[in-house]
Amino acid sequence: MQGRARKLEHRATAMTIVVALQALAAAFFLADLAGDLASEPADGHLIVEGIAAVALLISVVLGAIQIRHLVLAARADEAAVAVARGALAQLVQLRFAQWHLTPAEADVALFALKGCDVAEIATLRGAAAGTVRAQLARIYAKAGVASHTALLALFVEELIDTSLLHAAGTEGEKTA
Amino acid sequence: MTATTNTRRWDPVVKLTHWTIVAAILANAVITEEGSAAHVWVGYALAAILALRLLWGLIGPAEARFTAFPPSPVRALRHIGEIRRGEQAEHASHNPLGALMVYAIWSCLGVIIATGIAMAGFPPQGESHEEDRPAAYASAEYGEESEEGEEAREGGEGHEEDGMEELHEVAVNLLYLLIVLHIAGVVFETRRSGRQVVLAMLPRRR
Repeated sequence: MQGRARKLEHRATAMTIVVALQALAAAFFLADLAGDLASEPADGHLIVEGIAAVALLISVVLGAIQIRHLVLAARADEAAVAVARGALAQLVQLRFAQWHLTPAEADVALFALKGCDVAEIATLRGAAAGTVRAQLARIYAKAGVASHTALLALFVEELIDTSLLHAAGTEGEKTA
Repeated sequence: MTATTNTRRWDPVVKLTHWTIVAAILANAVITEEGSAAHVWVGYALAAILALRLLWGLIGPAEARFTAFPPSPVRALRHIGEIRRGEQAEHASHNPLGALMVYAIWSCLGVIIATGIAMAGFPPQGESHEEDRPAAYASAEYGEESEEGEEAREGGEGHEEDGMEELHEVAVNLLYLLIVLHIAGVVFETRRSGRQVVLAMLPRRR
């Protein structure tokens, strides 16, 4: 998720370099044009040159606006991830308290939410696989679910607002 | 905007224009010969990049805009008061003293660019392309010969140019002074607040 913000930032940087180069070229053309206009009367060629210079200037401005969008999008992305992370942490705490999980069970449940399986949780906690399996069973019972996936779905389901997703359309295609 | 309040960092346009201008000033101060074609072209490049930064001051994100750091002596004095009392106020953009420095440097660069263009003229055209000194070309247009050497030119044009040259040099020296003050300010602010002022301007943050 952080990768998306980083990618947007990189794109903004690349775009900045392009726009800076365009600005350099525009300065060259404008100076050249001013020099031409000072030394000879305006003819068709100079007019075309002038139009080209103005077009370049416009592209600099439009490019700059594009960079602003990229910079702001990268920041919004980071902010959204930060908000979602905070909200999920709160939700997890709240649910664990509501289910009256013991500290050990809360620990196991957190690992389960992070996607660890029984063997991984057992090694992480230095416990026997049987113990973890028993703890998981108690957690499922307290949460009222039958499986690991159902436990995960409990949180994900609550955080996804489908009406928002439909509104966002193509914007939110990469939510995973 | 919530993400930017804790760690201030500049967007790529501010960073790129800052360091390009640094490079251009260094190039024209140390490497290129005064009045040479390279010197003039570097000056034009600097003008283009400065123009881009000024454009960014109108359309960029909030903290890069002029409205985020108005040149206000009153706010600067208040900021000095804060420093005296040892207070730490968060500034989303340049702090008020830094803002004054920014405008001082920009005006200085503006004077340098304007006088530079006045001396060098717009880039030499056609047959005078090989001319090393665009200034010589500009004065040749007025029927003056530069055979006496560039310094010994006579007539009003020559006087005007001397004035321009003087102004150019005064502004450049003022710019060097401002740069020293700017670096001193960054060092001072980093020590005072412990905030990584320099890191905020480097290509890769943190």
